[in-house]
Amino acid sequence: MLKPISRKTNKAMLTKLLAGIGGLLAAAISLGYSLYEKRQAEIIPQVAIATPVDAGRWKVSLSAGVIGGEMPNGSHIAPGKQVVAIDMVLENLSAESSNIYRDLIRLQNIPNAPKPQFYLMRDKDILWDMQPMMPEAVKAVWQVPADLTLPKELKVKVEGEKFKPRDNLYAAPGWFSAGSVAQVTLPLAPAPAPIPAAEAKP
Amino acid sequence: MRLVFLIVVIAVSMTVLAALQATTPPYAMLTGPIRTEGRQGETVSGTVFSAQIRQVQKAKTLAWDQFGRAVERQSSGTWVIVSAELQAMRETMPVRGATIIGTSGRLYHQSQRAQAAPNVLSAKTVQPGLPTTGIYIFEMPKEETRDMTLLLSRQYGPQLEDELAITLEQNGIVLREKMELGKNGI
Repeated sequence: MLKPISRKTNKAMLTKLLAGIGGLLAAAISLGYSLYEKRQAEIIPQVAIATPVDAGRWKVSLSAGVIGGEMPNGSHIAPGKQVVAIDMVLENLSAESSNIYRDLIRLQNIPNAPKPQFYLMRDKDILWDMQPMMPEAVKAVWQVPADLTLPKELKVKVEGEKFKPRDNLYAAPGWFSAGSVAQVTLPLAPAPAPIPAAEAKP
Repeated sequence: MRLVFLIVVIAVSMTVLAALQATTPPYAMLTGPIRTEGRQGETVSGTVFSAQIRQVQKAKTLAWDQFGRAVERQSSGTWVIVSAELQAMRETMPVRGATIIGTSGRLYHQSQRAQAAPNVLSAKTVQPGLPTTGIYIFEMPKEETRDMTLLLSRQYGPQLEDELAITLEQNGIVLREKMELGKNGI
């Protein structure tokens, strides 16, 4: 009479123990994986100036940083602001025209930098859609406070995106953030003084 | 015996569920556009609008007058100008979504660089009973223009709405050096 009861309690104990071990193991694996992912994410390759960087959706090569000067399309600069700009060659690697490049480049050593405005140098006008397989010379312009002391070198991060044929919510294809893919250090040079119109024409 | 039966039942149900999951059409497809196919030259009718493609032209440079000032737009590829006649069937509507599927299957939306050109259809609204003519302008690499299909819809990314897919003819397209866009189209 005693034996079956003890077997039952033993079995119950064993089940509980197994469940406990399973839970702890799951927690440990999850913690270890997230730590590993975090460490992996911190290693961002440093890329030389004017080297093409494949950021998934975009291919970009940053060529120069410029302080001051005018807006590429001649529009006025807001009072109390100055211009920081980066020249680059941008190419749309995705399969569709797109204007979602505003989060591609992040300034590291300028605090509270706003989102940049992109200009197409071919037209000296605001850049809209980038067509696939058509690289263009582009300028990204940030307007930052005029009294901000700017660093000698601009530290820039290029943010990657990856394609998912089916996303988790709608099973629709889309591009999703994949963390930083490269770091570039650009020297900041003052913009060349604009040539007065009278001198430009001989 | 019972255990074997249980394992078989679990395996079969897993297979069935996996098959069901793999063959479920995605949401994007279920709520996708209602596509009508056709060819250049014929009137292609959807449920709320129809379109007829008249001409397709290619040019290296586009030129037009904007507020009395001459504007020129160059391209590293080529400009593709499609002239079309649109008809709305039920209500006043725009036809703003215009995309060309290139040779490689990439999607080229209308070029925003030429949106200020005269007679551009995406800036117009179509009134029922009044055929509206105009142009759509695209910028694409030259090698993408060998085989083109035009997609027209009310807006980009139509969901459960009309989308006309019109195959564009390759015969008779010449690549012009420069194309002047006037008020009367091409």
